[in-house]
Amino acid sequence: MNHDGGKFDEARRRFLRGLGMATATAAAQPAWGGETFQDAFADFFQKDYRRMSTEEINAALERIERKAKSRYEVEIDCQNTPPQPGVVYGYAINISRCKGYRDCVHACVKENNLGRDSQMQYIRVLQLDQGDFNLEHSDHYYEPETVPVEGKHYLPIQCMQCDDPPCVKACPVEATWMEPDGIVVVDYDWCIGCRYCMAACPYWARHFNWTVPEIPAEEMNTNTHYLGNRPRPRGVVEKCHFCIHRTRKGQQPACMEACPTGSRIFGNLLDPDSEIRYVLANKQVFRLKEDLGTEPKFWYFSD
Amino acid sequence: MLPRKHDLFFYPCDQCHESMEPNPDIRPLNAMHDSTLEHGRGRIWCLSCHDLENRNYLKTLLDELVDIDEAYLVCGGCHANRQKDWVFGAHGKRIANWQGDRTLYNCTHCHDPHSPAIKARAPQPAPPVRAGLELKHGIDHEKTAIWESQEEHDEQ
Amino acid sequence: MTVIRFVIDGFREMFRGPREYWIWLMTLSVIVLFGAWRYSEQLTSGLVVTGMSDQVSWGFYISNFAFLVGIAAAAVLLVIPAYIFDRKDIKDVVLVGEGMAVAAVTMAILFVIADLGRPDRLWHMIPGIGRFHWPVSLLAWDVLVLSVYFLLNLAIPFYVLYSHYRGKEPSFRLYFPFVVIAMFWAISIHTVTAFLFSANPARPFWHTSLLGPRFIASAFASGPALIIITLQIVRKVTSYHVSQSVIDLLAIIMTFALQISLFFVGAELFTDFYNEGAHAASIHYLFLGLGGFDSLRSWIWFALALNMIALVILMIHPLRRKTLTLNIACVLTFIGIWIEKGMGLVIPGFVPTPLGEIFEYVPTSVELSVAAAIWALGILIFTLLAKAVIAIEQGKLRHHAKDVKYSS
Repeated sequence: MNHDGGKFDEARRRFLRGLGMATATAAAQPAWGGETFQDAFADFFQKDYRRMSTEEINAALERIERKAKSRYEVEIDCQNTPPQPGVVYGYAINISRCKGYRDCVHACVKENNLGRDSQMQYIRVLQLDQGDFNLEHSDHYYEPETVPVEGKHYLPIQCMQCDDPPCVKACPVEATWMEPDGIVVVDYDWCIGCRYCMAACPYWARHFNWTVPEIPAEEMNTNTHYLGNRPRPRGVVEKCHFCIHRTRKGQQPACMEACPTGSRIFGNLLDPDSEIRYVLANKQVFRLKEDLGTEPKFWYFSD
Repeated sequence: MLPRKHDLFFYPCDQCHESMEPNPDIRPLNAMHDSTLEHGRGRIWCLSCHDLENRNYLKTLLDELVDIDEAYLVCGGCHANRQKDWVFGAHGKRIANWQGDRTLYNCTHCHDPHSPAIKARAPQPAPPVRAGLELKHGIDHEKTAIWESQEEHDEQ
Repeated sequence: MTVIRFVIDGFREMFRGPREYWIWLMTLSVIVLFGAWRYSEQLTSGLVVTGMSDQVSWGFYISNFAFLVGIAAAAVLLVIPAYIFDRKDIKDVVLVGEGMAVAAVTMAILFVIADLGRPDRLWHMIPGIGRFHWPVSLLAWDVLVLSVYFLLNLAIPFYVLYSHYRGKEPSFRLYFPFVVIAMFWAISIHTVTAFLFSANPARPFWHTSLLGPRFIASAFASGPALIIITLQIVRKVTSYHVSQSVIDLLAIIMTFALQISLFFVGAELFTDFYNEGAHAASIHYLFLGLGGFDSLRSWIWFALALNMIALVILMIHPLRRKTLTLNIACVLTFIGIWIEKGMGLVIPGFVPTPLGEIFEYVPTSVELSVAAAIWALGILIFTLLAKAVIAIEQGKLRHHAKDVKYSS
């Protein structure tokens, strides 16, 4: 054992102090995949959304904003707008009005910061022959000169926000659930990426980030929600969330806003005077794969 | 409801028509502005909707004057069911809010009253496939209608 | 403590052997390391390096997982005759079978982890600190039953071997209840895995009550096939005695299981094709191709042919008793069921998609390398376990109290 007396102890103290400072500085550097060490550490141990306290959620929102700044160089605003009481959302599409423009598809991509390189789209429009409703005969990749093509009709499909969602049952970590306002949401920071929910969904509504979503900085929508369109990591599942960052504030979802023919109708199922309730009461509505018992909150009709 | 007047190039119509004599006879027209009417297949003509004396206004079937921004009252004269759907939100485009005050598009926002059918236009691009994978096109079904194959049946 | 000595001695036994043994271990290790290196590509770039897509969102990894759970379950075919029917000849080899179960469960779990988009978030499944969606999620059920099965197949042999190591007989009353549990548990792991698939009405190809029985039947055909081959290798490379009656029993079980398995395939084909509706699109794609896409068609017919040839061999008594022909039948059965229950089960569930789209899947080199590495790791684990088990069972590895030395 070496006891050099005071000089050794002094040197040791200085070394340890320097080591401490160096560690603290390294921890604060954005070296861990663009995040600071503290953020990466906090991210790793982040609890699931439904068990986080308000402070923890706010801290998570700030981390998301910092990560967006370092990865995409954009200042975003990530919110956690709660559901409105007395509201359950419903959607209807008038398929005799839909002309297959796909304006909804691309409006959604921009509004929800969907990865361009990872080629994520929440809405898919199917082209079917007139008189045919067999989805196996559908064309997903139609690109004619003009739409609507004569003798065809169009069917846009996205997450049905089922009232008895098979995806929610499937998830082994409860990373997806139905919020009180009826939206089936995903906690992107809790999802482990097993993709069982994707196998369980009868509407092919859930999509996976096979790689990091690439979003051009100038096209980033900075008005975001934790459970919605804030920039997502890779390796997690995502899907249509009825533009939760808009609808919870009383605004229409982007797809409805974009549709030039006004084929889309959205509103509060609990409000008997709403547009959606009028449609359900006065039009011959149907839902896809009704016999599976998933109780979609997404109807179709033609008139 | 969103107003239309500021979208109309020729409004107010009085600018030119003040100086013209009103002529109520039904006749084919050619004019300074496009006046072909692809609406109603010959069952209506200009003065079915436009008022003869008050050129800045439209009129209903009962000859009530209607402001151009309330053109829906005219459309609804013949298209009553559609108008009802529009009022209650099952038809037509609405923007901005699903809650509180609604913003409706007027009929004429989407339907040019002189040629109301929605015109075909180019669609936006088809969906891509996952990065690194290719889209392969399969064989298209030989989709024959039941009656077409039935005729073959009968011929046998 | 003796138990620590036991573990240390066990490990030393695993890493001691002739030159051929070390070449075997090294070869397997090289494959494991190569696969680990390719897996790091997946960790860096994401699952985009695989051939999976939103359309076919499970692929080669889950295919191997489904197959391996069956292999793990088949260990019970040795446990039942050994402990319930008290067959001495089976009792001699049951520990080897349980070692195989441990290796198979490990491989199955590794395949699931390899398939995850966020393996760093595995802790999210731990009940309490995470959220474990049990008993609603079938995947949570599968994690639970596989983990417990893994522990059972480690704990029971550990106790038995530890007793033998100390020159004692294990207490029957102590371990037998766990053996009974393990028997039922083996059936449950594979039934739960089948239910994981069959619970989804979104996927008509899987949504059949026959899937559970099909899984058990094919497991009881492919499992013994592997065990028969493995026991013969053990018999050859070690001096461990493997009675021919063990092989005979397994071969008969395999024959019955293969008959039932092929009957089930026939039942599925009839039910789907007699009045063919949209729900038969996937099986149509698998066996006949659909819309011009048919990448799995040759594979499934090949697998079916292998199984039928194997069955013919097995049903002819003299051929089943002859080593060469029996081994051919085992290899054919193993490969045939690996195809049918692996890719032939998972991929058609996604073709066509619920929206009617046909999009095909081909595994990439990353997937093939990682899969090979996991198989190599499983075989490595089995080799090491078998090495220690055989040494103890042959009496070569014993605790010598008088050899215990104390450090000065």
